[in-house]
Amino acid sequence: MSRGLGYMAESSAKAALIALALLVALAPFVVLFFNSLRPADEFLAQGAGLIPSRLTFEHYAEIFDPNGDTFRYVINSLIITTASTILAVLFGALASYALARLQLPFKLSIIIGILFLVIRFYPKITVALPYFLLMREFHLLDTHLAVIIAHVSMTVPFVVWMLLAFFEDFPRELEQSAMIDGCGPIRRFVLIVIPLMAPALAAAAVLTAFLSWNEFLMASTVAPNAAKTLPVRISGFITDKGILWGSMSAMSTVIVVPVALFALFTQRYLARGLTVGAVKG
Amino acid sequence: MRQPQPYPQVRRPAGIVGRLEARLGESGILLLFLVPALLVVIGAQLYPLASSAILSFFDWSLSRSPTVGPFIGFDNYVRTFTDPIFANSVAFTVILAVCSTALQLVCGLGIAMLTVGESYTLRLVRTLLMLPMVVAPVAVGTIWRMILSARVGPLNQALASIGIDGPNWLGDPNWAVFSLIMIDAWEWTPFVAITLTAALTSLPSEVMRAASVDGAGRWTTFRYIVLPMIMPIFVLVAMFRTIEAFLTLDIVFTTTAGGPGYTTHTLSFWIYQQGLKYFNISYAAASSWVMLLFCVAIAGGFLLWRRRITAWQVSR
Repeated sequence: MSRGLGYMAESSAKAALIALALLVALAPFVVLFFNSLRPADEFLAQGAGLIPSRLTFEHYAEIFDPNGDTFRYVINSLIITTASTILAVLFGALASYALARLQLPFKLSIIIGILFLVIRFYPKITVALPYFLLMREFHLLDTHLAVIIAHVSMTVPFVVWMLLAFFEDFPRELEQSAMIDGCGPIRRFVLIVIPLMAPALAAAAVLTAFLSWNEFLMASTVAPNAAKTLPVRISGFITDKGILWGSMSAMSTVIVVPVALFALFTQRYLARGLTVGAVKG
Repeated sequence: MRQPQPYPQVRRPAGIVGRLEARLGESGILLLFLVPALLVVIGAQLYPLASSAILSFFDWSLSRSPTVGPFIGFDNYVRTFTDPIFANSVAFTVILAVCSTALQLVCGLGIAMLTVGESYTLRLVRTLLMLPMVVAPVAVGTIWRMILSARVGPLNQALASIGIDGPNWLGDPNWAVFSLIMIDAWEWTPFVAITLTAALTSLPSEVMRAASVDGAGRWTTFRYIVLPMIMPIFVLVAMFRTIEAFLTLDIVFTTTAGGPGYTTHTLSFWIYQQGLKYFNISYAAASSWVMLLFCVAIAGGFLLWRRRITAWQVSR
């Protein structure tokens, strides 16, 4: 291919298309950000531009009012996301290691693997109601634990499926020599598998953290008040008296900015976690 | 002392861990490893799933009675299939899933082909393009609700400045359907793009070089080499996206709340309303099982298609 006029025309067309894609993907976040700094009276005024006439932090001050509940929702979300991520990755790593190493009869490990896969694909709404009733039975409604168990049960299948794909390429030789040294599965898991699997575990953790932080259905079902998470709080801005545009924008920014930054820094792991299932599966 | 000793750290005298390993044996311990994950999944997913299947055959509305009512056979299912709002939700959900997935596949493939490569700029572009997918769907809804607001939303203001009177995006029944398709596609196109980028990256470079040596043009290479090679992954991605679009719930909550009327009730949203707003537990359970069977059918169809593609490829 000669690097002539045609090449230049093509690469500038390519650049233009990429720019368009970036505009479509990112412009809504810019709108959100400016709206969170827009004075309340400007929301209903026609002809207000993209950039507010003056910037104000009143909405942030309002949602973070010391007498308000926002801090609690942030803490709830942090507790639930952290605990769910740790537990899901731990349980998932243990289970996928066992599935990869056990010689179960009747292709039992394949069946268990498929079972984990299926959980990803049925409507969570089918489970939400009975899960609500179950938690009511155990008096766990509106507790962190109820949400954490739900999130772990939703994400463990992801983790198992992902890590199983990694175990296919895992070198057995290291484990075998440790086995000869009289090392049982617990010590092999802790001393050999975990350190070598660290990148895969990180990918699983990143993906789980996103799922848990953003999850709405289960959280809104079992934790409507005291253990309420940020996504559930946002939906509350709408059913109240009209829509509180300013507070809603500020709250949305509060929930979006951490994940956006987190995504920028963990992009490699995130992309790997998302693709391994489809590309290897 | 045995020789050699490549792992000095594990040659400590076996403590409680070593005794446990000796006691339970290799597969005993491994079976134990399975327990926590299975326990959580069975307790919080499979048990509720089974109990919802059982409940669907009883008559129970939590607003009328705190305990389960009598066994009524398939009445809830009959009611589901004769409910016009259910039919309406199925229609909207299918339209949403089909249109949105098609749009995502086309745009996602385009973006993947534009941004495949290892340069720093392309990696940065890919990361930025991922953002719509990583933010909470609930927040995606609020963002778009603001942008699409009929009177004061930035989109209609921009349209007004070039002399177009923008529609009532979320308030008009037809535009609301269109808007939700666009929002869902906006949110999930990145997933398709990322997966297909990975698929394109994994294509063997010899094949591509051979094609260009043979004088194959751009379109020929794409149509007869690239597309068939990524087809199995493409079908799998299409399946993921169709099913997940079929389950759409969060963005409906924060954009249209199912309105105007029932026009944008997705199945999940409708079942959520039945179950968790009106507490018609057994009716919602029956409807959700109907929905689950739809999902199984969709997945089955896609997997059959994929098998035919791979079989066809192997046979060549």
